[in-house]
Amino acid sequence: MIVGIPKETFLGEKRVAATPETIEKLIKLGFEVHVEPGAGIEANINDEAYLKSGAQIVSNISGSDIFLKVRAPSPAEIEKLKPGSTLISFIWPAQNPALLKLLCNKKINTIAMDSVPRISRAQKLDALSSMANIAGYRAVIEAAHHFGRFFTGQITAAGKVPPAQVFVIGAGVAGLSAIGTATSLGAIVKANDTRPEVADQVKSMGGSFVNVKVQESGSSQTGYAVIMSEEYQKAQRVVFAKQISEADIVITTALIPGRPAPKLITTEMVQSMKPGSVIVDLASEQGGNCELTVPGEVIKKHGVTLIGYTDLPSRLAKQSSQLYGTNLFRFLEEMCAQKNGVIHHNMNDEVIRGATVTFSGEITWPAPAVAISAKASEAKPEASTKEAHKKTEEKANPFVFIIAALLLLLVGLYAPAIFVTQITVFILACLIGYMVVWNVTASLHTPLMSVTNAISSIIIVGALLQTSSEDFWIQILSGFAVLLTSINLFGGFAVTKRMLDMFKKGS
Amino acid sequence: MTQNLTSMIYLGSAVLFVLSLLGLNHPDTARRGNFYGMIGMAMALAATLWAAGVTNWIMILAALLVGAVIGLFAAKKVKTTQLPELVALMHSLVGLAAVLVGLSSFLDLTKVLVGAEKTIHDVEVYIGIMVGAVTFSGSLIAFGKLLGSISGSPLLLPARHWLNLSVLVGIAILGYQFLNVDHDQALLYLFAMIVLSLFLGIHMVMAIGGADMPVVVSMLNSYSGWAASATGFMLNNHLLIIVGALVGSSGAILSSIMCKAMNRKFLHVIAGGFGTDTKKASTNPSQVLAGETTAISSLETAELLKDAKSVMIIPGYGMAVAQAQHTVFEISQILSNAGVNVRYAIHPVAGRMPGHMNVLLAEAKVPYDQVFEMEEINEDFKNVDVAIIIGANDIVNPAALDDPSSPIAGMPVLEVWKAKTSIVMKRSMASGYAGVDNPLFYKDNNRMLFGDAKTKLDEILQALKANL
Repeated sequence: MIVGIPKETFLGEKRVAATPETIEKLIKLGFEVHVEPGAGIEANINDEAYLKSGAQIVSNISGSDIFLKVRAPSPAEIEKLKPGSTLISFIWPAQNPALLKLLCNKKINTIAMDSVPRISRAQKLDALSSMANIAGYRAVIEAAHHFGRFFTGQITAAGKVPPAQVFVIGAGVAGLSAIGTATSLGAIVKANDTRPEVADQVKSMGGSFVNVKVQESGSSQTGYAVIMSEEYQKAQRVVFAKQISEADIVITTALIPGRPAPKLITTEMVQSMKPGSVIVDLASEQGGNCELTVPGEVIKKHGVTLIGYTDLPSRLAKQSSQLYGTNLFRFLEEMCAQKNGVIHHNMNDEVIRGATVTFSGEITWPAPAVAISAKASEAKPEASTKEAHKKTEEKANPFVFIIAALLLLLVGLYAPAIFVTQITVFILACLIGYMVVWNVTASLHTPLMSVTNAISSIIIVGALLQTSSEDFWIQILSGFAVLLTSINLFGGFAVTKRMLDMFKKGS
Repeated sequence: MTQNLTSMIYLGSAVLFVLSLLGLNHPDTARRGNFYGMIGMAMALAATLWAAGVTNWIMILAALLVGAVIGLFAAKKVKTTQLPELVALMHSLVGLAAVLVGLSSFLDLTKVLVGAEKTIHDVEVYIGIMVGAVTFSGSLIAFGKLLGSISGSPLLLPARHWLNLSVLVGIAILGYQFLNVDHDQALLYLFAMIVLSLFLGIHMVMAIGGADMPVVVSMLNSYSGWAASATGFMLNNHLLIIVGALVGSSGAILSSIMCKAMNRKFLHVIAGGFGTDTKKASTNPSQVLAGETTAISSLETAELLKDAKSVMIIPGYGMAVAQAQHTVFEISQILSNAGVNVRYAIHPVAGRMPGHMNVLLAEAKVPYDQVFEMEEINEDFKNVDVAIIIGANDIVNPAALDDPSSPIAGMPVLEVWKAKTSIVMKRSMASGYAGVDNPLFYKDNNRMLFGDAKTKLDEILQALKANL
C-alpha cells in the first residue's frame, strides 16, 4: 500500500507527519511512501533527505491508500483524499463534528491520534503525550525568552541573583515536562494538580508539590482530570493566589477533556505578580487558564507577559515531527502485524477501535470506554487494614503469660529437682539464643545455619559417654552416632569457614 | 577429673558458642565467631573424653577419624550452589544421631530411676527420639527436593491435615502405652513411634512447595536443635540443653524471618499445600494482563548498561542454577570501572535458603558493601537507570502489591519497575515457583532477555569488553 505524506496547509504549521527516520521504518513494514514536494521544508527536512530514506517525491499524492497528517484536514484537503483510503491524523472529533461528517461522506476510514485510548499498551502510540512533552519544554523556553533574568540563582562579583520561582499548574505530561525543563535551568519549581497521586511524579522531576487541603481526588477512570467541587475550587483559589503572587513564571496546563479550560488565574492574581513576570498558558487553545490570555498571541498586561501560543509543538518542528512520525509508525505497525505493507483495520482491537472515528461510511466516535486506573482507589483500604493487622500482632497476649506461669508452677510443684534445673537452663538458653540471633545480619543467614548445624553436633558428647557402656548394642548405636555427628561437626565448621572466607569488603 | 570441673569446662564452651553466634552480627567478626565455635566444640570434646568412664578409645577414635574425613571432604567439594542440599543433609545426620543416642539411653539399664524421675526420663527419651526421627526423614526429603530428585511441587494427599493430626494423636497414644508397660514391651512401642515419626517428617516436607524451601530448611535447622536439647534433658547434660536451645531458637527465628519475607503464616507453610489455590489467579478485570512483552538482545542490554549511571542487579535462584555469579561480578566490575554505580539488591527469600544469594555473591568476590537488603534499597529504585533481574520472578512481582486477589498479595517485593528500565533474564515465559503470572513482564519499561542466564551474561560481558 502507498502511504502519502502531504504538506501541511494550516497557517503557520511547521510540522510534518513523517521524517526520513520514520519513513525508513515504514518501508521496512512493506509500505511504499509518497511525499509531497516541500512537505518537510518548515521542519528543516528537505526533499533530498526524504529521497535518501527511500521515499518518492510525488507532486500529486491523491492516489495514496493511507494518508498521514498532523493537523485535521481542511475541506479542500479532504477533497483530495481517495475514497476508501485511511487517514491518520489529529482530528479532535468532539470539536469538529462537521469534519467527521465530511470524512464520513467521502468514505474515509479516519483514525484520530488524539483519541487513542490511554492504556499502557498504547503508550507508544500516544501522540498527545509526545506533543505535550514538547509543549511543556517549549513553554519554559518561551518563558525564559520573555523573562528578563536568569533562571538559576548565582552569586557573582557583580552581585547576587536570586533563582527564578516557577509555578506549574497541572502536572500532566506537559506540566511534568515543564517542571523538568525549568528545574534543569536552575529555577525553583512548585506545582499543583487536582490529582493527589501525581505528587510523587512532581517530586521525581525535581519540583515540590503544593497541596490544596481539601479531601477530594480529581482523577477519573480514564486517567484524566475531572471538574472539582465548589468547595475545592475555593480552597484552590486561595492557594493559587499565594503561589502566583510569589512566582516569577507561571505555566498553566490545566485541561479537562472536551470542555473549555478552567479559568484558574484571575485578573487580580495577574496584578499581584511582580512586573516582568511571565505566564505561559498552554490551555489557550481551549480558552486559556488565565482570564487575560489571548489565544495565539503574546500580550503584556499589568506588567506581566502573557504567552498564549497555540502552536508550541510546531515551534519545535523537527523534534515534534520526529516524535509524532514515530507514533504514526507505531500505529501502522499495530495495524500491519504481518509486515507485508497491507493494513488490517481490526475493529476488535481496543486501541484501533478507540482511535477510529469514521469507518466504512459510518461515524464511530465516541468509542466505548476503556477503564484504566482503578488500582489507585483499591490499594488504599488494603494498606490500612494491613496496618491494623500489624497493631493486633504487636499486642502481647496476656494468656500466653498466664499459661506459661501455670506451667512453671506445675513444674515447681511436682517435678524432681534435677528437672527444675534443666528447665531453668533451657529457658534461659532459649532467651539468649533469641536475643543473639535477631542481631545476626541477613547476609550471614546461610553461615548462621551452617554454624548452628555444626554446633548442634554437640550431641556427640552424649554419644561419647554412651560408648563406654557394657551393652554391645549400645556400643554399636552410640559408635554410629559418634560417626554421624563427627561428619557434621567437622563438615559443618569447615563449610562455614569456607563461606565466611568468601565474604570480603570492597576496596 | 571431677564432675564440677567438667561442668565448668562445659560452661566455658557454652559461652564460646554464644560468642560464636554473636560474631555473626557482622561479616568482619564472623570468622572469629566460627573460630570460637570450633574452640568451644574442642573443649567440650576434650572434657568429655577426659572425664572418667570413657573406655572405648579405639572405636571412638576410628569413628571420629572417619567422620572427620567424610565431613571435611564434603565441605571442600561442595559447590556453593549446593549449600542448601549439604545443610539439609547435615540436619538429617543430627536427627539420626538424636534417635540413636535416645535409643541407647533407653537401652541402658545401669541407671535405675523410679517414680516421677523415671516418668520424666522416659518422656524425654520418647520426645527426643520423636523429634530426631522427624528431623531425619524431613531433612532427607528436603535434601531430595533441593537436589531435584524429588519433585519440588507439593504432594497433596487428600485430608492431609487430618492425616497429620491422627499421626500426632497416634504418637501420643503410643507414648502413653510406652510409659505404662515393662521395658521390653516399651521397646516395641518405641519402634512403632519411630515409624510414625519418620512418616510424619516425610509427609510434612513432601507437602511443602519449592518456593517455601527457605522456611523448611530453617525449620529443620530448628528441629535439629530441639532434638539436641531433648537429648540433653534425657542425659541430664546442661551443655546439650543450652546448645540445643541456641540452635533451636536460631532456626525458629530464621523461619519466622523467612515467613515474614513472604508474608506467610508459619503454620500455613508447615501445613503445606502452597500453590494449590493459585490457579484461579486474578479475576479482577482491571488486572487482566495485557499480553505483550518486549524482548531485548544481549547486545542491546550491554548498550543500556553501558549508558546507565546506576545499575541494580537482582539475583535469583536462576543465577544460582546457571552458576552465573562470576560472570555477573565481572560485568559489574567492568561497569564500576567505567564509573557506573553498580549495586546488588537481595530479597530475603531469593534462592532456596536464607542468605543463599549473599553466599553466592561472596563466592564470586562481590564486596559485601555493594550488596543491599530489600529494605535498605527498595526506596532507591526510582534513581536506578537499569535494574537487571537474573532468574528471579516472584520476588519482583508487582501483583504482590497491586492485586489483592493475587496469591502472593502482601508479600514485600523488590520494586524494580520503578527503575527507568528493568530487564528480566529468564529461560522462558514460565511462571515462578508460586505459579503466579507476573505483570512486570508486560510493563512498558520492562524488557525480556530470554535464554540461559550464563550464556546471555557471557554475551553481555563480551559486548561490554569490546565497547569499554
